[in-house]
Amino acid sequence: MAMRQALKAVLIDLSGTLHIEDTVVPGAKEALDRLRKAPVAVKFVTNTTKECKRALLERLERLGFSIQEREIFTSLTAARGLVEQRGLRPLLLLDDSALDDFTGIVTSDPNAVVVGLAPDHFNYQMLNKAFQLILDGAPLIAVHKARYYKRKDGLALGPGPFVTGLEYATDTKATVVGKPEKTFFLEALRDLDCKPGEAIMIGDDARDDVGGAQNSGLLGILVKTGKYRAGDEDKISPLPHVTCDSFPQAVDYILEHLI
Amino acid sequence: MYRGASRYAGPDTACLIMAEKDWKECIKNLKGVVLDMCGVLYDSGEGGGTPIPGSVEAVKRIKASDLQLRFCTNETQATREKFVAKLQRMGFDISVSEVFSPAPATVAILKERNLRPHLLVHDDVLPEFDDVEKTDPNCVVVADAADKFSYQNLNDAFRVLIQLEKPVLFSLGRGRYYKETDGLKLDVGVYMKALEYACDVEAEVVGKPAPMFFQSALTDMGIQPQQALMIGDDLVNDVGGAQNFGMRGLQVRTGKYRPSDEKHPTVTADGYVNDLAEAVDIILKHRGQ
Repeated sequence: MAMRQALKAVLIDLSGTLHIEDTVVPGAKEALDRLRKAPVAVKFVTNTTKECKRALLERLERLGFSIQEREIFTSLTAARGLVEQRGLRPLLLLDDSALDDFTGIVTSDPNAVVVGLAPDHFNYQMLNKAFQLILDGAPLIAVHKARYYKRKDGLALGPGPFVTGLEYATDTKATVVGKPEKTFFLEALRDLDCKPGEAIMIGDDARDDVGGAQNSGLLGILVKTGKYRAGDEDKISPLPHVTCDSFPQAVDYILEHLI
Repeated sequence: MYRGASRYAGPDTACLIMAEKDWKECIKNLKGVVLDMCGVLYDSGEGGGTPIPGSVEAVKRIKASDLQLRFCTNETQATREKFVAKLQRMGFDISVSEVFSPAPATVAILKERNLRPHLLVHDDVLPEFDDVEKTDPNCVVVADAADKFSYQNLNDAFRVLIQLEKPVLFSLGRGRYYKETDGLKLDVGVYMKALEYACDVEAEVVGKPAPMFFQSALTDMGIQPQQALMIGDDLVNDVGGAQNFGMRGLQVRTGKYRPSDEKHPTVTADGYVNDLAEAVDIILKHRGQ
């Protein structure tokens, strides 16, 4: 393969890559320690609509990972970043558990709409309110556009259907800030002083993690854990840089071939 | 002054692509008029809504002329009988047999195709579906359910669809929004789109702008599309839908009309009038009546 620029950063997905629910992927902690000894920056990137950084951090600590808050970059972080950058006052259609990540953001007299996953707020009145704001020119920002997700009691609608509905109602396009958007990966790398060509992403979602990263100029490694299903590696173009059984093998590959 | 970027150009093209100033040229050939209801006859809202000034009289004047008249509504918040009764109370000369609405049309399709629906519809329209088998659903029917569009109810419909080998979704209309006295409200199309996206399925639309729906009204009058004029406040579903079917379409500047409609990228009405009363004035004047 063509030699690229020296690797400066590794982006790592959380759920499905480092852990599956409350179980750590075997060897993941040790592999992370090995990676941290190498001369690369590490960042943990995830699409979340419900969990604030603090909640993610608490779970990772409980599972035994040692991670700093500043090393975590989520779709909620990205949404907040965009809101701050553009000086917006958002109507937040977010679960209460996600509001922590928006502390200090002015939300009175809203002139923007941020849609995450908020079953309690996705009702007729609230969606009408969001609709009227967008129709009056407020930008629509989507934390991500997942169709549905798995809940203990079965499948449940994700934010995507509601974002799509609001887009249709107002004839506008949402700005999507989560994976697989290019801006997500670029924002995650911004404070690392690292160009996309100097970074690699490890994740279990072929489209959102690997496809998104590779379309943004990063390399992508697909791991066969979490939501991976046989054949996923063939579903994206370009194909994953490499497909590994799990996170530890991905780390070994990086240490052996890219550093 | 042709302003349409991409529009229907079939039989009677010269007439269809006429400019706003001379849509009146075609009035002499008209045999029938189809009226949208909400936003043309009345504005909906608390207490059932209020008639738009001049519209009660305008309906009377069309009926007194040599033109036939039918009503095509995507109204699904009440049974057709109750809906017509409401308009009669407002003073409109209107009967059930003149009104085409999506719920009865959907019931006919369900029966013909042996489908058992899960209903995500307004409570007040449920009686239309009384005779339909609803156990062990194998399709979803979504209509303007207003307050019933909760996450939970939408999720229930989603779960029915996602477990079907081939999901079948019917949407009664595909409107984006409509106007109530206290503001614009999201219409069924938004929730149809949400379910389409969630299940990667395309809904079958019953009601405007589906050609079948206009066809049923025209068949009832025994006239051809080029002999009929649609008057509505919804540019895409009333005007665009009618034009795609070969009818002409006028937009009234009442109801959900927004000034930006007059520079819409894909749909250009054959004409714009301030309200139904003005449309009827012009039509009758040009027919010498």
